[in-house]
Amino acid sequence: MSSDIKRRDFLKGAITGAGVGVLGAMGAYSYSGARKALFPKVAKKMNDIGTCKSIKVTNISETSWFDNQTLVGDVKGAGGLLVDQYSYNWPPFGNGKGLGKGSYDEGISLIKEYLPHDIDKAWEITQKNSINPDNAGGYSCLLEVEELDGQVRKFLLDSGWSYKWMDESFKREGIDKMLENREIEALFISHEHFDHYWGLPVTLKYDPSITIYIPEGFYPEGKQYIKDAGHTGKLVEVKNGLYKHIPGMATYVFPIPIICRVYGEQSLYFNVKDKGLVSVTGCCHQGIIRFAETACKELKYENDQLHGIYGGLHISPFDDWDPKYDDLVISLQRYGFERIGCNHCTGVLCAKKFISAGYPVVEGTARHRSKDKAYLGNGDTITFG
Amino acid sequence: MERYGEQYLEERKLVKRWAGPIPALVSLLLTLTVFYATWWIFQDPRGLMRMYTPYIGYMYCRWWLIMMIWMVYIFNFWPFKRKWLETAHPLVKGTVLTLVSVAILLALIKGFFEGFLGNYGLAYFNPEQLGKLDGVTSFFAAEYSALAILMFAAIASWLSPAWVVAMENAPWKDLKQPARGFSVLVVTFFLSTIVYFVTMHPHMGILYHPWQYFTSIAPPYWENFADTVSGNFHVSWIMCCTVVVWLVETIWQRYPFNLIKNDWLRRFATFAGIILIALAMHFFLYFAQELTWGEAIRGTRRAFSPDWRWLHVGEMAIFFLVPALFLTFYCENWPRKFSLPVNIAIRTIVCLVAAVLLYIVYYKTSHLFLGTQKGFSHPQQFPMIPTIWLINIWLAHHWFMDNWPAWKMVPKTQVEIEAEHRAAEAEISMIRLTPKFVTGMGAGVVIGVLIYIGTIGALPKLYAFIDIIPKN
Repeated sequence: MSSDIKRRDFLKGAITGAGVGVLGAMGAYSYSGARKALFPKVAKKMNDIGTCKSIKVTNISETSWFDNQTLVGDVKGAGGLLVDQYSYNWPPFGNGKGLGKGSYDEGISLIKEYLPHDIDKAWEITQKNSINPDNAGGYSCLLEVEELDGQVRKFLLDSGWSYKWMDESFKREGIDKMLENREIEALFISHEHFDHYWGLPVTLKYDPSITIYIPEGFYPEGKQYIKDAGHTGKLVEVKNGLYKHIPGMATYVFPIPIICRVYGEQSLYFNVKDKGLVSVTGCCHQGIIRFAETACKELKYENDQLHGIYGGLHISPFDDWDPKYDDLVISLQRYGFERIGCNHCTGVLCAKKFISAGYPVVEGTARHRSKDKAYLGNGDTITFG
Repeated sequence: MERYGEQYLEERKLVKRWAGPIPALVSLLLTLTVFYATWWIFQDPRGLMRMYTPYIGYMYCRWWLIMMIWMVYIFNFWPFKRKWLETAHPLVKGTVLTLVSVAILLALIKGFFEGFLGNYGLAYFNPEQLGKLDGVTSFFAAEYSALAILMFAAIASWLSPAWVVAMENAPWKDLKQPARGFSVLVVTFFLSTIVYFVTMHPHMGILYHPWQYFTSIAPPYWENFADTVSGNFHVSWIMCCTVVVWLVETIWQRYPFNLIKNDWLRRFATFAGIILIALAMHFFLYFAQELTWGEAIRGTRRAFSPDWRWLHVGEMAIFFLVPALFLTFYCENWPRKFSLPVNIAIRTIVCLVAAVLLYIVYYKTSHLFLGTQKGFSHPQQFPMIPTIWLINIWLAHHWFMDNWPAWKMVPKTQVEIEAEHRAAEAEISMIRLTPKFVTGMGAGVVIGVLIYIGTIGALPKLYAFIDIIPKN
């Protein structure tokens, strides 16, 4: 056998062996327990956001829409969950052309002149041009942060969707007067979704100069809407990551893609003296576990305890289900929350599974069109601290 | 005797109409144009039919792939006659065969799964039956039933070609069509059903409330091992099996399994080998995500949840299949001038690099033109749909249309066919288990392990350097 043939045989063997070696190592090591030794140890950042005495949340409205079948039917008819929300032809951007054929520019041109001073007229117009306008509700809550010196500072999280429903809800909870009296310092928009954001003119009707915080990631239509809705105050686009506001209160922007062509969500952390960390969310598209894990990695908080959570936890917003949600129900116990107030996109089924699993869910009163007592419903309050 | 399409693919000679890479580039341009036009018509959330819901679009996309595999690989174009396959214009052939594949597709989904199984067996295959459940909206009823049907497709798209590629159609190899086709179809459908029941049925069993303890294992048996109760754990390795079957068949030319002389040993070794290679991919691609994004956290959503990570393993695997098929269909399985192991190693490296580039380009840009969303882990972000949609178009173009117009189909002469067989046998016979080969193999295993160690060491740095989707 010539040396050339021997060399070729060696090469053929070496190449075949390399394939076997790579695949063998991939199979044997990649999912073995030993692999965990390679994971970097992430040091806790211990960002200090200060402390507050307590935080009270008043649920102005958690019913973003009133009938799942109607809303999901619209989504299905328009082409699914990836369709741009401004093209669904939902209010207030209805252009009269039918489901899935809407556009921001056409819709806003019909109502812009009435914003924000005459939202009744604007809603009357959009009702005629939109798909299922009476199904629109909205998500919004009032946050009352008590500082260590006893001073109470008020903020709004989100401004809902339907002008009509949100205006009624604001009046029911006295938000209209608080805004007129400039008692509410700022409006935080959790994300650009229709049910959290499109009711913006209702807030601006009572206080057009209110400071607005939006998360990074808004699409051009969303940014334009702030101008078109008649905002005259300061606008802050919060960058991804942690943003400290007042002692004991911070927001965190998560850069995540969300259905209906939305990007990024802003949620809130409160560090309550002697209790622990409280998380308040709009929809929590980042996931409640990731929200909690982010707190664990990034923040320093009282007793190293995750004390409470309030808001839409975005698990089964349409009461749909998926086994991965069971992963959440099973895993949540690891985090030791002491008070859970959930509603909105959590899903009634999920809230009931939480209760069945023995989690400390604070139940509501099922008033003002909230569906079930498993939810902390419209008009209900929860206090942490 | 009447001939159908047996050996048609092997016995056709595709002659380039132009020299160099022009035919490949023309074909790429043409198929991408067809891809984008059909994507807009059928799938795009901004387009006409908007089937990318995503599961409905995915179900049709996935089953269409299998329809073509059935028609070409299992039934060898039966009942279309060989003369027609050789003489009909590729456009006519492509149109007729595509329409037939779609007709079977609709009959299978609407007739068999939704109509028959969904109405008389398992309600979750039929959206109307699901819609009767309290709290299930029509949208999710349609999505859930599409999910069940497409999961069946995922399994079938591994087992159907595997029986041809690995088992070599045994033991019905010598039967005439359609007897052989029906035999293979029945056995692969049967196996798919068994695999479906032990992998995806438990997923469906806990999809509804309360958990269906009396009809499926709940929570599923894989919960602790996979760190999730989701069936995506199985989607992952099954998807890798699908990809590996085609790698073995195309760029790997069934090597090294074709070194085994004993027929049944070779068949079972190939079948088992495909699964083992797929499992290696399955675990490695999960580990790759842990190395780049951090350890998964059970219960969370999106990029950190184990269920999505497993799904993403399948998504990553499919990016590898795209260049492999392009290399085989349009680049004549380049290179061919070296020994079999060297050719295969070069093709594998080329496909790996191309897959990584495609992955980066896809996630950087797809939201700009496919109507999908920016980011990796959106629940409705399924790169498998556009990639398989493109693969479907390539299959239709390559199998049904003989790569028209950049290639021309000419039947090979008997002399050419025999020469080709001799060349293939000679290529294999050149690989001898000599002492030098064995020594080389031992050294190669060590090198392979070192490559693996180097890869896992470099991955976090490489990922950080590339920064596919900038955070700020």
